This record gives sequence, structure tokens and C-alpha cells, in this order.
Amino acid sequence: MNPRALAFLGIVALCGAGIAGYVMRVRNQAQAAEAAAPQASGRVDALPADAFAVFRSTALGATYGHVMTVGLAAPDGARSLTPLACERVHYAAGTGVCLRADRGAVTTYKALLFDARFTPGQTLPLAGPPSRARVSPDGKRIAFTVFINGHAYSNPGFTTRTSIVDAATGRYVVEDLETWPVTRDGVAFKETDFNFWGVTFARDGRRFYATLGSGGKTYLVEGDLQDKRMRTLAEGVECPSLSPDETRLAFKHREAGGAAGQYLWHVAVMDLASRRVRVLQGEQRNVDDQVEWKDDREILYAMPLDAQRSAAEVDVWAIPADDSSPPRKLLPYAFSPAVAR
Amino acid sequence: MYQLDPRNLRQLRRAPLAGIGANVFFLGLTSMLTDVSSEMVASILPIYLVYAIGLTPLQFGFVDGLSQAVAAFARLASGPFADRWRRDREVAAAGYGLSALCRPLLLAAGNSWGLTSLAIALERVGKGIRTSPRDSLISLSSDASRLGLAFGIHRALDTAGALAGPLVAFAILAALPQAYDVVLVTSFFVAVAGLAALLCFVRNVPRTLHGDACDDRPATLVAAARAMLADRHLRALLLGGAVLGVFTIGDSFIFLELQQRLSTRPEWFPLFYAVTALAYLALAIPAGSLGDRFGRGRTFLAGHALLVLAGVVLLVAGGHPAGALAALGLLGAYYACTDGVLMAIASRFVPVEWRATGLGLVASANGVARLGASLLFGALWNWHSMEFAVTFFSIGLAAAIGLAAIAFARAQVRE
Repeated sequence: MNPRALAFLGIVALCGAGIAGYVMRVRNQAQAAEAAAPQASGRVDALPADAFAVFRSTALGATYGHVMTVGLAAPDGARSLTPLACERVHYAAGTGVCLRADRGAVTTYKALLFDARFTPGQTLPLAGPPSRARVSPDGKRIAFTVFINGHAYSNPGFTTRTSIVDAATGRYVVEDLETWPVTRDGVAFKETDFNFWGVTFARDGRRFYATLGSGGKTYLVEGDLQDKRMRTLAEGVECPSLSPDETRLAFKHREAGGAAGQYLWHVAVMDLASRRVRVLQGEQRNVDDQVEWKDDREILYAMPLDAQRSAAEVDVWAIPADDSSPPRKLLPYAFSPAVAR
Repeated sequence: MYQLDPRNLRQLRRAPLAGIGANVFFLGLTSMLTDVSSEMVASILPIYLVYAIGLTPLQFGFVDGLSQAVAAFARLASGPFADRWRRDREVAAAGYGLSALCRPLLLAAGNSWGLTSLAIALERVGKGIRTSPRDSLISLSSDASRLGLAFGIHRALDTAGALAGPLVAFAILAALPQAYDVVLVTSFFVAVAGLAALLCFVRNVPRTLHGDACDDRPATLVAAARAMLADRHLRALLLGGAVLGVFTIGDSFIFLELQQRLSTRPEWFPLFYAVTALAYLALAIPAGSLGDRFGRGRTFLAGHALLVLAGVVLLVAGGHPAGALAALGLLGAYYACTDGVLMAIASRFVPVEWRATGLGLVASANGVARLGASLLFGALWNWHSMEFAVTFFSIGLAAAIGLAAIAFARAQVRE
């Protein structure tokens, strides 16, 4: 046989062996991780009577990505497994939203609405990979943000789209928040590079807050679902989250620095009455999440188990909103927490 | 100039692959494996970055533009090296090798934003480096009368790889959920196999076979560009290619318009891409062969006429699934009649001494014009409407075809 052909076949065989060997290694690791990680004890039948968390499990194994619940009175206690598998999940007052990715030759994304028994209801197609999800405290409105590739030709790379949905009908209140007018200091504000993300709702069913990105800046906007308009309140605020008592907004605050020009985000809290902002120093790692209030005292956020390795395994941490003590790991192997009160 | 001679024709029918060197098939194999490798990564990249690595895609926007510019520069810069050293194979191998190395780099980068960007940018640079010497090798490995077919075969194999890549990635993730690292590792080994095909089977073609004077005239970009502008064939080709490029609607715009007209969701984008690629794959070889028989210049112009037709179908029947399918098929046919065919025409006129440099320049003249076209199209769309932009571009392209036809006829680029 031609020595060149022999050499080629030899290299191809080595490449095949390399792939097979790596697959074996990954399989063994996954089995070991599955044995070590906490698994759900049983299917969800009844929701806990007290406050509980709905979250996405990040424990590797068969239930990776499944929605689980755990009572917040005993966060280390037994977890209940739901039949839903989601990238992002949120839940409030008997309404839930699950943003899923259906991986295939063509990966598609959808928002799945569900009820207190975790029974799937309406589905809405999503235009791209999910980013943020929120249900209003009254359970009547759902907001989600997705990334869109090639959405705007003028802006290379990705943009975001934020939609708000009526939970009862599954219809859009607004399919693209960019279509609603915005004012800045009382003057109409409109740019072609507008991007909205990270909605949080107030209890009154009307008021909401969100992030508006434009010209390299981020603005906190306050919106009105009935008047269908928004106004900017402050700059440098991303992914706001309204406290249960509605006196404060927790958000991620971007700071320069970090390795290789990477953004570094800290958790910050704004007092809505005085607009005074406090950047929490207790957590110095990068917090890239839309935080969730556990109650009026503590803020929940996701943090990768090993930031250097991968973002597949994530834990939920809690930090006091007044920065009075260091953060603690509340829910290991959990992501996208929602607190049902 | 190739003459249509009945005796020749009979001979061609008997030996359909005569005059196509083994290099062409092995370069096709290399491109196919490399495209399987790169497209399997490209198809998972957004979801990998967002969910496995936890990066915000917004952070990538500006890197994207920068790396494209660097890649375009690499494409122009690699030609002179291949020409000066008369080593197309080695320069192409460097490009394929660099792209292959980006897979482990992407894996090692973890969630480091800087390293991940670097890996993505270097993969584009590798693509830029390999393109001109590879096309030069294809041209040197084929009879002048079969250049269209040779490039057609190469582009068909290349496109087949691009179509298979996402399917391979899907198969891996279906078997091993969340195993993005397995996709990256597999992609690396597939790329290595592609590089091995190049190193084991592809040989440099002594340019003296093609009449290389070996006078050591330095092949520089400037000298080559100057010489090309002085040559009436190449001037017509450069200018014709640029004028046609200025009125070429980018495929992403066609996909966007189809998506609006059909009221489909953005997730259909890959399907649009697949239909176009299938048509390209099916027609690349017939179109190249057609060019060899009836004139590559004519085929190139006819390809652009198909794009005009695609624009008209888009406007008239883009909202109907059959119309959309026709528009996408026409878009694929346009690629089949133009992409490899342009290189085949250029190969006939670019002197062998600076073949890689010249092919890179011809491709870049067309490419830069198309980049300008995208900006113009976007501006027209923004200013008025998508329909207006498509109409404007279709009329403009029809006029450009007329202009290019005159330029080609005067310079006798019909061949």
C-alpha cells in the first residue's frame, strides 16, 4: 500500500481513538459526578406550605436542567423533582415560566407557561437563546429576555429582545419592548441601538422596571403596562430586581477591570426613595445574574461552582442586602432561583 | 480560449474527470473535513457561550468586526508568501493547522472572555491564510480547460462538509447532553484528519510546469495589484467583479426578508441556510462544467442574473413557501455559478508567478465590494424599506451585469 495512504489512515485511526478516549473519560466523570451530587428525592406532589424556592438543578446526571423545588425553611432538605427541564425558570403566585432550548440539528427555543402543579400550559416560540425570565408577584404577567443573532443588521453580533406576556391568555402584552416609547428627562428618547433586558414587576400589576442599553450605557427604566410607556430613572443599572417591600431595587453594577477587559459585575442595592446606591462589598466575585430577593433581607444570585472550568455546575448564594455579613451558599447545584412566598 | 469542438466534447463525455488532478479531490477532502469541524463548532457556539461558559453574547459584537478585518488581511497577506516560496501547500497547511489549534484553545479558554475571543478570531485568521494558496493549488492542478469543473468539485465537497458539521454536533449532543467539550474535542480531531489529508496527499505543483519563468520577481501585493490593473483581462475581471459585488444582496438580508414575509421565526434561519447550501452543493459541479463548455465569464454573469431573479421572486412571491424555496434555490445556484467560477476565470489570467496573490486580490475586490453592498443595503433599508432596497439592488445588479458583460466582451474574458 502507498505509504502516504497508510500514514493518512494511521492518523485518522489515531484521531478516532482520541475521540473515543475522550468520550469514555467524559462518561466516567459524569457517572462519578452523578453519584456525588444531591439528587431529588421524589416527584413533586404538593408544594410546600411555607416559602419555597423553584430552581433549575445543575447537578450533573439524568436530572440536569430539571426544575426542582425545596422548602426555604430547610434549604438543605429534600428536593422535589418536577417534569420540566428549562434553561431559565421563574415562578410566582401559581404561575411559572420555563424557557427551554430544544436542541436539535436546528436548536429552537420556547417559553412554556406552567401552573402550581407544574402542568405545562401555553407555549410561545422564542427568537433566540433565553437570558432572563420573571413572573409578576400577582402571577398575571410574565417577562422574558432572549438573545437574538442577526436581529439588527446595523449592529454586528447579538442583540436582546424583551417581551411581556399575559399569563392567563398566553398572548403578548408587548412582543418587543423596543416598540414602546421612552422618555429621558421628560424628552422622547429613541435610538436604533436600543436593547431591553431584565424586567422586574411591582405588585400593582402596572409598574415594572427594566434595563435599557444604548450607546454603551445602561439605563434603569420604569415602565407602565397600562400606558405602554417607559421613562429612564438612572444610569449604570442592569437587571433590576424589586424587593418584596418595594422600597429597594437590587441590580448588577458593572465595573471596569477584571481579566482581559472582562466586565466585572457586583450586586448593588438602590433605595428607591432616595435613589442612593450601595455596592455590596461582601461578594467580590463576578455576579452575572438577575438577582432574586429571598425576603426583604437577603438577595439570591447564581455563582459557578468553578468559574475557571465551566458554567454548567452553578450554586445559588445569598448575601444580606445591607452587606452586614459575608455571602453564604444557600442552594448547591441550583440556578435561576425563584422564591414563592 | 477553449473552443467547443465536437471531437473534444466526445472525449470529455468519455472521461468526465480527465484534466482534474488528484490534488483537487484531496484538497476537497481537506476542506470537507475542516468545514465539518468548523461548522460543528459554529452551530453550537452561541448556546455554548451562553450556557456552558456563561458569557454574554453582547460582549462579542465588537470582537466580531475586528476579527473579520484581520481575517481579510490574512487572506491577502498569505498569497505573496505562497508565491515567493512557491509553497502553496505549506502556507495552506499553516492556515488549516491554525484553525485546528483553535479548538483546544477554545476549550482551554473556559470562561475567559479574552481567550475565547482570541480563539474565535484566530480560527478566522486561519481561514484567511489558507484560502488563496488552496485556490492557487486547485488552479495549478487542473487543465486550463477544466478549471470550472475543478473548482466546482472542490466547492461541492466543501459545502457538503459545511452541511454535515451541524448534524454531527447535533448527534453528539443528542447522545451526550451538555457535552460541549466532546463537540470541541471531536471537532479538533476531525480538523487534524483534514490537515493530515492535505499533508499526506496534496503536493505542490512545480510552477515551471505552467511556464513559471523563475525570474524571482518578488510577488508583493502592490506589484501584483499594479500588474493586474495593467492587464486588460484582469482589470476587466477586477472591475467587473467589484461592480457586480456592489449590487449583491447579502444572503443574511435575503433570509431576513424571507423570515419577515413568511412570518417565520429566526430559528428558521439555519433551514434557509441549509436549502441554499443544498442547491449550491447540487449545482456547483454542473455549473463549473457548464462554464468550461460555454464560457466561464458567461456563467459568472448568468449567476448574477439568477441573483436578480432571486430578488424578483423574493418581492413577488417571497411570502409563499414555494416562492421562498425558489428564491433560496436561486441563491444557491447563484453561488454555484459565481464563487468557484470567479476563481476559475481568474486562474486563466493571473500569471503563475503570483497566482495565489492574484487570486486573493480578485476575491478581495469582489469581497470588499460586497461588504460595501451590505452597508448600502442596510442604509437603504433603514432609510426607506426592505422592498425598496431589494428593488434598488435588483435594478442595480441588472445594470451591473450589462456593464460587466461589456467589460468582459471588450477584454475577451468570455473564454
